[in-house]
Amino acid sequence: MTEMDPSKKVADRYLKREVLGEGTYGVVYKAIDTKTGQTVAIKKIRLGKQKEGINFTALREIKLLKELKDPNIIELIDAFPHKGNLHLVFEFMETDLEAVIRDRNIFLSPADIKSYIQMTLKGLAFCHKKWVLHRDMKPNNLLIGPNGQLKLADFGLARIFGSPDRKFTHQVFARWYRAPELLFGTKQYGSGVDVWAAACIFAELLLRRPFLQGTSDIDQLGKIFAAFGTPTSSQWPDMVYLPDYVEYQYVPAPPLRSLFPMASDDALDLLSKMFTYDPKVRISVQQALEHRYFSSAPPPTDPPKLPRPNPKSRVSDYNPQEGPTVLSPPRKSRRVMPDRDRFEGNSDQAEKVDDRVGERQAVGDIAGKNEQVPMSIDFSIFGSKPLSRPTINSFRMSLVLACRNRLSMDQASKGLSHHLGLSSRSIVQTFFLNK
Amino acid sequence: MAANFWTSSHCKQLLDPEQVDVVHQQDKDKGITLEEFKLIKTHMANYILKLAQHVKVRQRVVATAVTYMRRVYTRKSMTEYDPRLVAPTCLYLASKAEESTVQARLLVFYIKKLYSDEKYRYEIKDILEMEMKILEALNYYLVVFHPYRTLSQLLQDAGMSDINMTQLSWGLVNDTYKMDLILIHPPYLIALACIYIASVHKEKDITSWFEELRVDMNVVKNISMEILDFYESNKMIADERINTAFSKLALKP
Repeated sequence: MTEMDPSKKVADRYLKREVLGEGTYGVVYKAIDTKTGQTVAIKKIRLGKQKEGINFTALREIKLLKELKDPNIIELIDAFPHKGNLHLVFEFMETDLEAVIRDRNIFLSPADIKSYIQMTLKGLAFCHKKWVLHRDMKPNNLLIGPNGQLKLADFGLARIFGSPDRKFTHQVFARWYRAPELLFGTKQYGSGVDVWAAACIFAELLLRRPFLQGTSDIDQLGKIFAAFGTPTSSQWPDMVYLPDYVEYQYVPAPPLRSLFPMASDDALDLLSKMFTYDPKVRISVQQALEHRYFSSAPPPTDPPKLPRPNPKSRVSDYNPQEGPTVLSPPRKSRRVMPDRDRFEGNSDQAEKVDDRVGERQAVGDIAGKNEQVPMSIDFSIFGSKPLSRPTINSFRMSLVLACRNRLSMDQASKGLSHHLGLSSRSIVQTFFLNK
Repeated sequence: MAANFWTSSHCKQLLDPEQVDVVHQQDKDKGITLEEFKLIKTHMANYILKLAQHVKVRQRVVATAVTYMRRVYTRKSMTEYDPRLVAPTCLYLASKAEESTVQARLLVFYIKKLYSDEKYRYEIKDILEMEMKILEALNYYLVVFHPYRTLSQLLQDAGMSDINMTQLSWGLVNDTYKMDLILIHPPYLIALACIYIASVHKEKDITSWFEELRVDMNVVKNISMEILDFYESNKMIADERINTAFSKLALKP
């Protein structure tokens, strides 16, 4: 155990500064760690109203971040209880990739784009190496630190994967970043879903706007097919077996070049491999990092030299009326139910959520009628920019239900004492003596 | 779980037996012996299993809960952390960490159903309070690896995944949680020891398969012996001994 004695972890190690915002499960504030002089962001986890102890999403995040230590993953520095609430201490991050992408004063050179996407993939590669799926990749979950380092954050939806046959919910990711297999309702998926989302982020860096802005799941698939052509069964043999598969009218793929006129050939090649329909064929994160795009000129920009929004001007420049072009998609508005009724249910609610986006509030009111759901925030609050995107967080509690599949005992424990007596002990001993 | 064991916090936290078999001073002052310390932990592992069977969670939740409980007592005394509250709370926390959440009120309901003894009776608020303390005692490390997954893979590899061998070795793995093995050995070695015992018991000779594995057979042998010794010494359910131990814990310091 490398950590310090837990008894020393008291709240007065940290000098509390201004509140950064209200999160899904409590207040986030800025603080100074008196032990290291470091600026940190502290998430205060409010205990749930339903008397269910420590917030499930927070617990997931703690569980995974304690295992994931990497330069491109947000660091959970400390955790401590104080006045009955759990507090999580993270490194303080100045801004996030969404703020970079939508800041019109910033010019992103091909080398800058390469650097940002490389750091994104490096963080993701580390997760996948540890068999963790992030499941909520999007620009405002990619935080940027004072030295320009990009770090993956918000692991509240992340899961350990790799157990065969374990079924997951397909209701993950903000819609615009959702892979086609998820939109077709697959429950057994792998790291390819994060690759697709990373490809969307790559495209967003190139275009400076979200690439595939679907307004419903159906529309999202339509946008995907319009960009890459309707997949054929030779391209993606398993597609027709997916639970929510519906046949789409065939549209041919326009040349990728026409969608990304400014991108290099290498960038386009990597992009097309990350946007491969069949998740079994889709490039892995590790393979993507080894792609020649990253070794060809220009080399990725050194993180400290990357362009970032000016923290001072950012707030005052911001005009909510004008509004930036970048907005996250509205979230799914209903609880996870077994399949089928998804499409109608979703389109019903889509307008409602869109309205909220118009109000420029950070209310990810996913649960629709459920007013109890707390406000959403994500790490975007760590930058001082105004909140805009509705987030998936409040939707998570309903995911809990979906994750509770297979509750029955795999196999009851059997007391075996009566099976095994002295006889087997002596047999074992004999074996080892003989060896 | 398929995450990488060798780089996990679980791997880094493995202890020597001497570090696990330490009765905390506060408990020692009340006359708790090492044997009683172990006995209470075994009893609590059984308690967790019994509760789990009622609330219906997966086996790995039980295994994780027992591991949490055993880790807590490498750092905290039973005087401070009453096992009869720690056990259900560990199950509660493990159910969340393993994505099979169980409601606290359901646990409380079954505790009341299972035990008439007042000393087992705790309310929801007690469990929620203890949850925070346990998280802290665990230093917020929640990912635990278990032998089950390796077990099935190894059995298949050895060509012995028939129902008899699977059930026997699986049951043996379940029983290893009545001991501290999970704190001391990597899960795959525990799995191997269980396969070993099962193969001997079923009179199946897989010596050559073992020899092909690049593992230290001495460690496998020692774990096997420990498991068999445990069966030997726990042939009788020692209710009386547990009651004696608990009455000692109840003493005023």
